[in-house]
Amino acid sequence: MLERMLNSRLAQWLDDRTHVVQYIRFHLIDYPTPKNLNYWYAFGSIALVVLIIQVLSGVFLAMDYKPSALPTGNGFSMAFDSIERIMREVNDGWLIRYMHAVGASAFFFVIYLHMARGMYYGSYKKPREFLWIMGVLILVIMQATVFFGYLLPWGQMSFWGATVITNIFGAIPGIGDWLLQLVRGGYGVGDVTLNRFFALHFLFPFLLFAVVFWHVMALHVVHSNNPEGIEPGEKGIIPFHPYYTVKDLFGIGVFLIVYSWFVFFDPTGHGLIIETNNFNPADPLKTPPDITPVWYLTPWYEILRSVPNKLLGIVGMAFAYVCLFLMPWLDRSPVRSARYRPVYRAMLFVFFASIGVLGYCGHHEVTPELLLIGRIASVVYFAFFALLPFVHKFEKTRPVPEEI
Amino acid sequence: MKRWMAWLALLGWLGLPGGPGSALAEEAAPPLKPVTLSFDQKTLKQGAHVFAEVCMGCHSLRYVTWKHLMDYPEIGMTREEVDEMRGDAPLTAPIKTALSEEDAKASYGIVPPDLTLMARAREGGGAYIYSLLLGFEHDPKGKVPDGNYNVYFPGHRIAMADPLGWLDHDADEEADIKAQARAVASFLAFVGEPHQLERKALGKKVLIFLVVLTLLFWLLKREVWKDVH
Repeated sequence: MLERMLNSRLAQWLDDRTHVVQYIRFHLIDYPTPKNLNYWYAFGSIALVVLIIQVLSGVFLAMDYKPSALPTGNGFSMAFDSIERIMREVNDGWLIRYMHAVGASAFFFVIYLHMARGMYYGSYKKPREFLWIMGVLILVIMQATVFFGYLLPWGQMSFWGATVITNIFGAIPGIGDWLLQLVRGGYGVGDVTLNRFFALHFLFPFLLFAVVFWHVMALHVVHSNNPEGIEPGEKGIIPFHPYYTVKDLFGIGVFLIVYSWFVFFDPTGHGLIIETNNFNPADPLKTPPDITPVWYLTPWYEILRSVPNKLLGIVGMAFAYVCLFLMPWLDRSPVRSARYRPVYRAMLFVFFASIGVLGYCGHHEVTPELLLIGRIASVVYFAFFALLPFVHKFEKTRPVPEEI
Repeated sequence: MKRWMAWLALLGWLGLPGGPGSALAEEAAPPLKPVTLSFDQKTLKQGAHVFAEVCMGCHSLRYVTWKHLMDYPEIGMTREEVDEMRGDAPLTAPIKTALSEEDAKASYGIVPPDLTLMARAREGGGAYIYSLLLGFEHDPKGKVPDGNYNVYFPGHRIAMADPLGWLDHDADEEADIKAQARAVASFLAFVGEPHQLERKALGKKVLIFLVVLTLLFWLLKREVWKDVH
């Protein structure tokens, strides 16, 4: 049926004028793929599905949302009221809002697994450096987008989370105050901030799409790596369609089951997806006892918090991203896949564990014990990147197979 | 030389004292009283009545109108029942207390919070509301001389005076007060998210559909891949 469609007169007419059929054949059908990709490789397609869910649900939410901190009595605001209107009065508004809120967490969950897979099989290594850089850039843009978005309900955590995170800018010497006012549009987080964050929350997905497009373009030049980390050779190649279209469909199906379970049966994720305190309207006079970001931002927040000096904390957090960007050049081993790299493999698991620990600490109120654990985890995070350039000197890699 | 200095710097950094969060150690509240909320018409109607007769003296439900009490099938009140409760208030108006913000501030020092989302905005949800209503005690150590003592309220000093008469209740009143607390906790847990039952019902259908669809995808994948080695 697909062939019939692509050979139809309409398709031919279009192809003569825009090459659309050729693009489809080149990028979605004949596109050569290693035959040994496992299900870890489905997370790229799944991430694209989540991005589309977010954009569609977001547009419908924007039709009923009002970005205004105008007070409406007893501490409530127009923005908060409009969200509750979506939850109660708009037809299936509750569904769209939960799809969007759960989608944000799902997006990070999927992207983190996608990145972990890339690190495990050495997919950042030559010639895929640019592919990797675009990927890290996607993460950074996602984090900015979600940060803007979390302010919009104008609840307690929205307000105080935005206050704490924008405060980071104020610690930059020289331009700090100027930058802080520029970001907030005033001295404190207020109505102006809410308006501009809404505008930016709508804008950033366009940037995201642009970088995702470039990420995929780069992929289609250098092609997928594979679990063996070797060149697949003629015999190791199969066309993307139908093999990976159906394999990804199955992966997407499994993802949608888990996602829907949260949307319909645990949309607040016991306070992890929508924080309990965010059902209280924003109150600038009442600081919550512990202000922590949502789980997907906490590892980086914890690195920031681990450093006693605020400015150095910012430098540390920025450096955590820089390390990720530099990954392709820090690792000098000729072998890609962790399957054949025992030392790197062990280091990687410790690294993943450090991110988990950082995330846990960053999500809880500071205690002396947690502070110490967070600091150790921060050191482990950076130690991973610091050791990376030297691993190949002493690592005995296991023999890599000739073909997949 | 350089190396041991680096280690020393690292140790010093790790050993620095904790942040400001560690200073405030509060008296921990006991675990919430166990309660099974129910969203059947009988309980929700009773909860609505308790709300209108007791809570509404000070609290409002800004997102719930009188008409909602008829329109939400889970509550399913009749027009007559609602008319009896609402008095002069318009049917489409939110359920609102007669206490003005100014009077509230003068009497209690604060404006009583709106209760529409109270079950969502507190850890424990309905169980917290239930526990709070049954958490009034005679101030054990004279810690809150000018207020009401509640075991479950953060800081224990609450502006609200024991609304259901839990303090000094007779033994034969206990079951009735508990039933009222349970009904109003259920009612508030329901109006906090009025589409929650619809959500779960739809969720079952969606999940069944997705499981079948995914199973078909799996069979398709197996069929397509059977020649690849």
